[in-house]
Amino acid sequence: METKNQTKTTAVKGTLTAGMIRELVRNIYRSAHEAKAQGKKVAYFMVASQYDEIVRAMDIVPIPTENYAGLCAAKRDMERFLLRAEEDGYSQVLCSYARIGLGFDSLRKELGKIPENAPDGGMPEPDMMLGSSAVCDPRFKWYQAAGRYLNVPSYSIDVVAPPVQADLNEVRDYYIRYQTEQFRGLIAFLEEQTGKKLDEDRLWETIKLGDEAWRLWYEIDRLRVAVPCPMPTQDHFSIMVAGHYYCGTQVAVDFYRQLYEEVKSKVEEGQGVIPVEKYRLLYGGGLPPWHTLWIFNYFESFGAVFVIENVYRGYDPVEVPSYVKDPVEYLAWRAFLRFTQRHERARKNSGHPVVERLLQLIDDYKIDGVVFHACRSCRATTVGQIHIKNLLGRYTDIPMMQLVSDMVDLRDYSEAQWKAQIGGFIDALSARSKR
Amino acid sequence: MTATEKLKKIYGERPKRTRELKEEGRKIAGYFCCFVPEEILSAFDLVPFRLQGNPKDPVDQADAFIEPMACPFARSCFNQALKGNYDFLDAFIAPHSCDTIDRLSNIWFHNRPVSFNHLLNVPHMRERGAEEFFRSELNYLVKCLEEWTGKKLVLEKLRETIRLSNKKRALLRNLYELRKKDPPPVSGAEMLEVLVAGMGIPVPEYVNLLTQYVEEVKSREVKSISLRPRLFLWGNAIDDSTFVQLVEHSGTWVVMDDLCTGSRSFWEDVPETSDPMEGLARRYLNVPCPRSNYPRTGHREVDLESRFGYVGAFVSSWKVGGAILYLIRYCDTCELEGPDLKDYLNKKGIPVLMLEDDYSLTTLGQLRTRVQAFVEMITGVV
Ligand code: SF4
Ligand code: SF4
Repeated sequence: METKNQTKTTAVKGTLTAGMIRELVRNIYRSAHEAKAQGKKVAYFMVASQYDEIVRAMDIVPIPTENYAGLCAAKRDMERFLLRAEEDGYSQVLCSYARIGLGFDSLRKELGKIPENAPDGGMPEPDMMLGSSAVCDPRFKWYQAAGRYLNVPSYSIDVVAPPVQADLNEVRDYYIRYQTEQFRGLIAFLEEQTGKKLDEDRLWETIKLGDEAWRLWYEIDRLRVAVPCPMPTQDHFSIMVAGHYYCGTQVAVDFYRQLYEEVKSKVEEGQGVIPVEKYRLLYGGGLPPWHTLWIFNYFESFGAVFVIENVYRGYDPVEVPSYVKDPVEYLAWRAFLRFTQRHERARKNSGHPVVERLLQLIDDYKIDGVVFHACRSCRATTVGQIHIKNLLGRYTDIPMMQLVSDMVDLRDYSEAQWKAQIGGFIDALSARSKR
Repeated sequence: MTATEKLKKIYGERPKRTRELKEEGRKIAGYFCCFVPEEILSAFDLVPFRLQGNPKDPVDQADAFIEPMACPFARSCFNQALKGNYDFLDAFIAPHSCDTIDRLSNIWFHNRPVSFNHLLNVPHMRERGAEEFFRSELNYLVKCLEEWTGKKLVLEKLRETIRLSNKKRALLRNLYELRKKDPPPVSGAEMLEVLVAGMGIPVPEYVNLLTQYVEEVKSREVKSISLRPRLFLWGNAIDDSTFVQLVEHSGTWVVMDDLCTGSRSFWEDVPETSDPMEGLARRYLNVPCPRSNYPRTGHREVDLESRFGYVGAFVSSWKVGGAILYLIRYCDTCELEGPDLKDYLNKKGIPVLMLEDDYSLTTLGQLRTRVQAFVEMITGVV
């Protein structure tokens, strides 16, 4: 059963190290179950909330509910959870990650145990839920709503970023102050829940590990400028697990070190993802189609390889001023610098930080075409893609296209339509390369 | 013309009155949602204009700029801008109310820029520095407005505009009070029109009209007609009275609401603090919108009470017999809130109809059927 599903959804990967991810994912849920059994604290947790290192420093075992939703989709076992949430009154167009999460919680509550054969053993009941306003709105509302099924405390923090127009010198101080306060609120909550104080040295340690993992990840991506490309986007969608779900641990650092070595040797040996690289593509944005990752191999059958992407590794390493001596302030500074990395440039050029990033990638990675993925139920990563595409079009004439489906909900996906659209896109790439 | 007629006219011809003001030399500041303090705009002599869509006008141009899975209300607003219907704006201020408005603001700034374009960040949380942060954001907005207008903000003037906006709020609450009567002297549809009429004219002008209007309403002779169920309406941007009419034509009265074009927009006064920015930050941060987080304070019941206690007070004081939750499709925060509010109201014995709609009038037929079935169901109950 499992093998059959796997071939339906997953893609053939470019690197061997990426193959280790499957075990890391299993381990997320296994660790959570073990921790529960040992009486350790387990928390529902939102990816990219900038609080990872705090959670790790407090020895709380995270259950990334979004990842679980993606996992269900990759296993093509999402229907029962989606439908359950819809029965409970949640809209069919609500974030499908949230629907899967809520549907899962609802079923687990009703059954009094984990739903039968849930992927990777299912998510155990958490001791708490940690929401955040980073990336999108559903990320704090979802856990608020989950209160219907779980009588556990929840805590959400704001994660703020100034708009591109803002004069950073005017707003920097109060943005960082607020962010710091929000982290402190979270820490106070976690201290109350765990009955122990945060150890600052330990927090510095997890921060160092987090930074090191993200630095290595960045270096790996820099290696991918090589022609032919040593690691494709489908690998990225696996290996991001280390950076996001193991951030602040040695596991992530070790994993990226190993991956770095592999990618580096591929570059040295001139080994590419496909033998003949006709077109180098940029995955311009949007969550991956977890249900249909093989689509990347389909592109490859036309000689088109996705060499870099604008999702999950949303920022490059930043330098927090050395006078910041407090680890919590450090985290707030780091978040601010990450989010405003391309603001100055954008103000001078396109007026849009993401466009700046894409332009830079197009240049560095010798990109021939850009593909966006619109997810019908994810506003945060979808709304604005057309706009970005329009703005990009003012600076480059490479072909671009937007595929539409959802990150998990298959009802929004049509294979025939995608194939037709991809065919047209490949034609455009070929026409341009002949010019 | 009576104030009733004048308000009806302003609503019906919106934004004609705003255009006239523009021709008279006034500067117009367009803004979204309930988070941009009109007091600040008024203190700069700008006419605050609440941006709205037009459900009667299909979205025919926005697709080239914004995805179809974005909030249809937001798309409709932008479609109006693309058609040139908002070409009278001098300033455009978008609060970060939700993902869609945030994304839309950038699209708007690029494609329909006006003289002053600003995004106001609004915290989603309410504690741990949120108020101070929001105050800083408001101060920054003021600073940008000063640069743009070339005028310094006069604090005394800001205090004055706060007092005046509070007066407006008091008049509106007064009107809502009158709706406690059975039957109410003002229908829900009329109330909405009166509210929307006020969202594009200077506050002093509106206060004058309202003062007169309240008297006119008080003197209305309300005939005792057959008892109709009294409904509560919850949702976001209902800025066209057609839907409310439909509900009332199904044999009900909409007597109370929690809409961002209704009570949510004016219910609480701005406290008159010594630093006016402090009062503004507190008041606007606490607008009860699903886009903001209420920290969980205890088990489920306690949590629901802390989030929806004010709704509970509304439905009991206005003697409500049923509630309609009107969710705009693709509005994640509302869609996550709806089922909880439904649970809460149901526990209070209030039947609830939860509708999801796409902010267009093409679905009226379907809506009517569902509303009528609901009304039939509750008429047996009340
Ligand atoms: S709306 Fe998008 S970004 Fe937000 S939780 Fe859902 S999938 Fe993630
Ligand atoms: S209806 Fe929802 S998505 Fe639309 S503007 Fe309002 S809060 Fe935002």
